[in-house]
Amino acid sequence: MRIRILFFTVAVIFIFLAISLVNLTLLQGEKFRDLSNKNCIRLIPQGGSRGKILDTGGQLIAGSAISYDVVVLPQDRQSLNKTFSRLAITLGISQEELWQKFRRGYSEPSVPVALVKNIGLEKAVALEERKLDLEGVVIQSEALRYYPHASLACHVLGYLGEIDRWRLTKLADYGYKTKDIVGMGGIEEKYDYYLRQEDGGLSVEVDHQGRFSRVLGFRPAQSGKDVQLTIDLRIQKIVEQVWEGQTGAVVIMDPETGEVLAMSSFPNFDPGLFVKKNRNSISDLFSDPASPSLNRAIAGLYPPGSVFKPVLAAAGLETGKINTLTTYYCPGSLKVGRREFKCWDTHQDQNLVQALAHSCDVFFYKTGLSVGPQVLHDYALRFGLARPTGIELPYEEQGFIPNPIWKKIYRFQKWYDGDTANFAIGQGEVLTTPLQICRMMAVFANRGKLVTPYLIKAIGGQEVWANHRRISPAHIKNSYINSINQGMRGAVAEQKGTASVLANLGISVAGKTGTAQNPRGLSHGWFTGFAPYEKPKYVICVFIEHGEHGYSAAVVVKKIFAAMMEQGVF
Amino acid sequence: MSTTLRILIAAVLIAVIGILSIYSSVSRKEGEVWETICLRQIIWVALGIVLFWFFSKFNYRWLWDWTYFIYAIVVFLLFLVFVLGIVRLGAQRWLKLAWFNFQPSETAKLITIIFLAKYFSMKSVDDVALKASKFGLWRALVLPFIFVAIPMFLIIEQPDLGSGAIVFMIFFIMLYLSNVKLRFIIIFLVVLGFLIPLGWNFLRDYQRDRIMVFLNPNIDPLGAGYTVIQSKIAIGSGGFFGKGWLAGTQSQLKFLPESHTDFIFATFSEERGFLGALILIGLYFFIVQQGVRIAEKTSDHYGKLLALGISLMLGMQSCVNIAMNMGLAPVVGLPLPLMSYGGSSVIVTFIALGILANISKTRAVF
Repeated sequence: MRIRILFFTVAVIFIFLAISLVNLTLLQGEKFRDLSNKNCIRLIPQGGSRGKILDTGGQLIAGSAISYDVVVLPQDRQSLNKTFSRLAITLGISQEELWQKFRRGYSEPSVPVALVKNIGLEKAVALEERKLDLEGVVIQSEALRYYPHASLACHVLGYLGEIDRWRLTKLADYGYKTKDIVGMGGIEEKYDYYLRQEDGGLSVEVDHQGRFSRVLGFRPAQSGKDVQLTIDLRIQKIVEQVWEGQTGAVVIMDPETGEVLAMSSFPNFDPGLFVKKNRNSISDLFSDPASPSLNRAIAGLYPPGSVFKPVLAAAGLETGKINTLTTYYCPGSLKVGRREFKCWDTHQDQNLVQALAHSCDVFFYKTGLSVGPQVLHDYALRFGLARPTGIELPYEEQGFIPNPIWKKIYRFQKWYDGDTANFAIGQGEVLTTPLQICRMMAVFANRGKLVTPYLIKAIGGQEVWANHRRISPAHIKNSYINSINQGMRGAVAEQKGTASVLANLGISVAGKTGTAQNPRGLSHGWFTGFAPYEKPKYVICVFIEHGEHGYSAAVVVKKIFAAMMEQGVF
Repeated sequence: MSTTLRILIAAVLIAVIGILSIYSSVSRKEGEVWETICLRQIIWVALGIVLFWFFSKFNYRWLWDWTYFIYAIVVFLLFLVFVLGIVRLGAQRWLKLAWFNFQPSETAKLITIIFLAKYFSMKSVDDVALKASKFGLWRALVLPFIFVAIPMFLIIEQPDLGSGAIVFMIFFIMLYLSNVKLRFIIIFLVVLGFLIPLGWNFLRDYQRDRIMVFLNPNIDPLGAGYTVIQSKIAIGSGGFFGKGWLAGTQSQLKFLPESHTDFIFATFSEERGFLGALILIGLYFFIVQQGVRIAEKTSDHYGKLLALGISLMLGMQSCVNIAMNMGLAPVVGLPLPLMSYGGSSVIVTFIALGILANISKTRAVF
């Protein structure tokens, strides 16, 4: 009897075991299969590196540096303790701190914890050598953006950041995912599609200590394509060294092709901040009232002031309202309607060349009044104003050129002669970007061609021709341009010229200063011109916000050109 | 087919499954130790089969006469292990013999059965009735318990909680099967109920941890709970057909500790799935059932108790080990008979089965 009872009990236990077996393998089998895979299959992302950004000579402006991270696989406490005690010595971080970091990063038993980031090559090598003693430690390398020249050309480059929702909805179709690092602003954003790497990966089987066992699958990482810019690092460096802390922008272009050789906006920032993910300094950057992240060369809108005068001169000559012999008398002011419009000096008799050299306002008031606002508007558009230049940078502003119809429609106001007078000297409603002014000046430098400024020379080693062809005639007669250029040469060469500070440089510069009044403080200072006068190689535009006078911009140009000559760039 | 042959076939089948699983679990481990493990187990099993054959020929009645002698030797060996453990300040479960580590606790299980079978089968000289039914409290309970408690204490102190518990369970089962009065057994259970909370204090820290972890493995997923979690993952991930021989990731990649000894069931289940594990459980049950049948057919009371003790010991060990693998019992060091790597366990099990076979053969004589 007792035997039967015991045997029955044993049988029941066996049946119970069989039932639990059903539960484990059949009912919960899938869950455990999942857990088992998580245990032993690791995806090791093999980040390709983002494409480099090079200057026109192939020098590095933004590259990729490899960051080494220490990653630990969760194990039992004892071996972790042993591992941490060894890590602590090599890394110089206390064991308690390592435990803290581990606990913070720990999510579940099969997920590796990133313990310390960017430990540097030496320590990475040291750890790699001691790999056998360090159970479950993996050194993961990751390519991070690296800027050898810190803030140089930062506005052209842009910066990198984690994709935001707005960009994600826009780019999801192109294979972008959440948490992707994408370019923001500048070339990094515009050419992200080319620059961005395709992350490959290795799916490997690992043992309980995270040691590699065998490869299950592999997809190679594809590095991004290198983008070569037209920026000339030598010139760009000079520009940023010469600058003395004002707010403003500089653009230097090849007048024949539209290649942008240097483009700076000040104040600037270090795009490396975004790599280090230093939250405080990033938020400081965006809350700074001087808005360092704004690229003033393409997105800063300013009244051009006197640098607009060559456009008016061209309009006057083309329409036949003035010719090279036309002379107006400047008594120091002109009464238009009921208002007195001042000139900054009394210039007496001025013909076109003199008026440009001395920047005589009265001459241009009169010319503007005879040309008329609508025609002047049309000519301004011929010089590429009031529309984006088409440079390969995002967030370009288009500026604004007024006309009577616009004023009627949007302001419900009549256009007065006073408006024309203001318009004639680039004041009033006129708004331009420094790049547009530079492009406008290129028309004079290359004698009649409207170029499209561009920054991209080659992508992935292949030259990009798309923008080179877009050079359109501005339809200004050559002889007229020569006369205007004469005047602008006079501004530099003549003793009383507004930019005479540039006279003794050793190269012949022609150009136009501008002092643009604005309601928010001191006048803005402009200088735009080209050099050498006979066969222009460079067209330049310097803009200083609240620079008080065009003279201060001319001084910056002098420093830039002097340094360029010194370094033999001319 | 004779019972002997059936038992032998089942046992050898299990042993072969064990060897294949051991081979699989060490196949991707490097180091000299691992290379010879499989070969050693094959030698043990071969030796075990020889001993099975020998003991199935050897009349089990001889054991009756040698009981106290064997008992004394086993206790002496256990004592030796105990002393060595004190000297070396650590866990000590083996005696290092010339070329293998001998684990006396395995033999202690068998000798406990032999001893108790003899004790409860003693007959009075006047009438040939069993004394056990007339035993008072002292002779029915306390005296045999003292004899069992000596090796049990030495085993638990090694520390080997699992084997100690098995010895204790053997005592309880033998007590129940003997003709001792039922009220003594009830008294025994009541006293036990009071002693268990006291026993908690005598457990070592890690043993308490293991019991706590058994109650909830997630309290310490990286520490004591790790093994149970990994073992359950191994068994569960096998699914219906398993991952295939040599393809079990849990054991091959060492996520599962002790995958060739105490957790060999998990190793096997991972690779052979539900189907394989069910067949294995069936084989164990088959052996137990055969043993019980032998006991029922044996008229000799000593042989009957011996056969029952042996088959239930095997059944218990398998159940506890498998339950522990599936997270249904606390993790105590207990091998799966015939399958786990280890010479002492394999040989003792084969000897026990040999005795069982002998009982089935010789029962006609009495």
